[in-house]
Amino acid sequence: MDFMLISLLIYLVGTVTIVWPKRTELAAHYFGMICSVVASGLVAYSALMYLLFPSGSWLVDTYWGSYSLQADAWSSAFLLLTGVAGVIISIYAMDYARGYLGHRIRLLSGLWNLFLLSIVAVLISGDAFTFIVSWEIMALVSFLLVNHEAGKKKTVSAAYQYMVMTHIGTAAIMVAFYLIGSHSLSFSFGDMANNNLNGFMKDVAFLCAFLGFALKSGLMPLHIWLPNAHPAAPSHVSALMSGVMLKVALYGFGRFAFQFIGMDVFWHGLIVMVIGLISAFLGVLYATMEVDMKRILAYSSVENMGIIFSAFGCGMVLYAMQLHSICVIAFTAALVHAVSHSLMKGLLFMSAGSVMHATGSKNIELMGGLIKKMPYTALFTLIGSMSLSSLPFTSGLVGEWLTLQSFITLAQQAGNPELRLLVIFAFVMLGLTGATALGCFVRMYGTAFLGRARSNIVDKAHEMPVFMLVGMGLEAVLIVAIGVMPDILVNIMQQIFSGFAVVSMGTPLGIIWGGSGHYAIYSPGIIFAVFVLMGLFMVAALYRSGTFVRKDVTWNCGTVPTSRQQYSATGFSKPLRRAFEDILTPKRRLTYLRKEHAYFGRKLRYDLEIPDLFNDKLYKPIQQLMINYSSAFHRVQEGSVSIYIGYTMIAMIVVLIWGVLL
Amino acid sequence: MEYLVVFLVLVVFLQTRITDLKRAVICLGSQSFIIAIACFVLGLSNSQGIHAILPGVLTLIVKVLFIPGAVYRLVGKLKNEREILSASNVNYSTMAAALFLVLGYVIVERLLPGSAGRDIIAASILMIMTGLSLMVLRKRAIIQIVGLITLENGIYLLGLLMTEGLPLVVELGVFLDVLIAVVVLVILTSRMRLSFMTTDTSVMKKLKG
Repeated sequence: MDFMLISLLIYLVGTVTIVWPKRTELAAHYFGMICSVVASGLVAYSALMYLLFPSGSWLVDTYWGSYSLQADAWSSAFLLLTGVAGVIISIYAMDYARGYLGHRIRLLSGLWNLFLLSIVAVLISGDAFTFIVSWEIMALVSFLLVNHEAGKKKTVSAAYQYMVMTHIGTAAIMVAFYLIGSHSLSFSFGDMANNNLNGFMKDVAFLCAFLGFALKSGLMPLHIWLPNAHPAAPSHVSALMSGVMLKVALYGFGRFAFQFIGMDVFWHGLIVMVIGLISAFLGVLYATMEVDMKRILAYSSVENMGIIFSAFGCGMVLYAMQLHSICVIAFTAALVHAVSHSLMKGLLFMSAGSVMHATGSKNIELMGGLIKKMPYTALFTLIGSMSLSSLPFTSGLVGEWLTLQSFITLAQQAGNPELRLLVIFAFVMLGLTGATALGCFVRMYGTAFLGRARSNIVDKAHEMPVFMLVGMGLEAVLIVAIGVMPDILVNIMQQIFSGFAVVSMGTPLGIIWGGSGHYAIYSPGIIFAVFVLMGLFMVAALYRSGTFVRKDVTWNCGTVPTSRQQYSATGFSKPLRRAFEDILTPKRRLTYLRKEHAYFGRKLRYDLEIPDLFNDKLYKPIQQLMINYSSAFHRVQEGSVSIYIGYTMIAMIVVLIWGVLL
Repeated sequence: MEYLVVFLVLVVFLQTRITDLKRAVICLGSQSFIIAIACFVLGLSNSQGIHAILPGVLTLIVKVLFIPGAVYRLVGKLKNEREILSASNVNYSTMAAALFLVLGYVIVERLLPGSAGRDIIAASILMIMTGLSLMVLRKRAIIQIVGLITLENGIYLLGLLMTEGLPLVVELGVFLDVLIAVVVLVILTSRMRLSFMTTDTSVMKKLKG
């Protein structure tokens, strides 16, 4: 199984494009992308083979000095996800990133390879040092990638915000590693699994690890960097960041939960679950308010990571309740949803990139009717949107359904009424999230692709070049394939937890066409039958009325309808904004630009601002506090060398007197 | 030995009251000369061979002749330079030095009661502290260099007494260190004079961004 090392080497070769001669930039770009496609393909292949034919040994097991590489099944699940996303997004980037010709494209391709390399390295690292080093490289490279369009002021500030936040996370993770490592033989993961940390310090280690990984995966109070970093980065970079990098945080957290800290403490899982649920709901609520396509997707990532973490937390709770065979459902749910979210968020960021490529804008209020200009992109986006709203026959449903299943199990097994009440709250949150997500993506898709053009940027829109379509198409095919045949993925992912007593979920055929043996997993067969019946019914009804297609102008009281009479994206989300006014606290401002008559010839301007709850209530006060402290310190640290020597002298005298007195 | 300590304390106190640059350098030279004599005395009584005279000779060459010589030449090029101080600053320096002397004796009494080199230890603590206070309180680069050498002399004297002869390599290393530091400082001061027409370090604040 040396494929993994070979692929690391290929990524490294791909990084060479940074120093490629400038005259053949395009060749450098293609070279870099081919390297990343090949290497990611190898990663995906070897991970898949390892998962399909588990042999009991490591996928990778090698060491160099005190640095070691080791990958088990838990790593392989994420390696598979990384490899697939790496291949597909790199294919897409072959055409997409050509837009950066003359804008440091060599750097972009090289860093792209390095980014994938660091992600794979994080996933296969076998000790704390390798993990931290790779993690830090990943953070720095993604910072550079976010900062690629450094000419824009917004990009730079987003990138630096990301940098600061991610380093806070790294610091927390390092503390967690240190706490555990100092109570075990060495810093290799194998030894750290046998640590003798307990009591209060174990709780501290858990909280630090959760803080660090939750920050990287954008859970709610710590998500603040995410909606800024994603729109700033080039689209294929945001696709990889959202599709893969956020999942790497889940990998790290899982490593801590399974191997180092254990899941014996009940409230650990509870915290993870509740924070996941809150992020899921608030994330999708903010997503529905945005008009910037990539910000919508970024907030939707917060939502989906919330769902994943709530499933994981549910599994931890079930494990702490000694229900070892049942908690597998929850962990499987987290993994399956991680995989499918990686696919669909990759797809949607790519289609957001395509829309940007075609129209030059990210604002969906300016679009409309794109389906006529770019039909294939519209189709793929539809599939991705359906999946993110977890409709049947898409992969998005599988994970969310499994999550719901695990909550149901938890409710069933909950001994005390408090926990049962909490699970009911979880149901409500998850249901609310799903419904709002549906609304959010109907809004995004409808505003951007359907209806009439809202501005002239749509006129010059065109279909995408072939590689971009291939990239998006592959993701769409995978999403539908998993949606139709979820059993393969679910069974593979379930095997990962073979350390627990695994309950088989039945034969693939049974799952698809009849539902379950023991558990109702998800049966597309029944849903398909219902759909066919409903379709037949509709066709029959329409057939009786005698018309299938009738082309006509919409009746508009005798005038021709204009594009301004359509639902705008902002208008579409107004009811939700009113319903959750207390959380969103929208600031509306209406300015009359011209008002000659009460009803005619008016021109007005409507500004809507939705401040981020946590930004105002949590981050601004912290920032203010830090500035105040800094200015207090400024008086001490004035920049004069004499005063510094004076401090040394005072310290020395104090030490001497101390020594004399004691 | 006691006479040497008396002279040393006298010179250090004098150092705190001098504002003229040339006199400060001469004062430094004589201070180093006393240290050199102390080196010879201690060296001849404690060890034999090259170890007995080498520290003294090195002190004589580096700290008595070369460093004060270089600084003196630099001072010669400076015109209208003197430490402009209020009398209170000078008085404070002297008062501080007196306090340091008391502190030094207290420390010796408490930490090393009945030690043979009681006066020397106290004097070296006085030198270390006074050197530091010169660097902190005075503004002219030359006086700050003088403060640094005073500090260094104090540490050297203390080391000499406590260890009764350092290994040769360490001794050579220490001298090389000081030599290089002073060479750099002299060059920097000379550049500073060319750029700012003064060696007042407070004008360097302008360089801050």
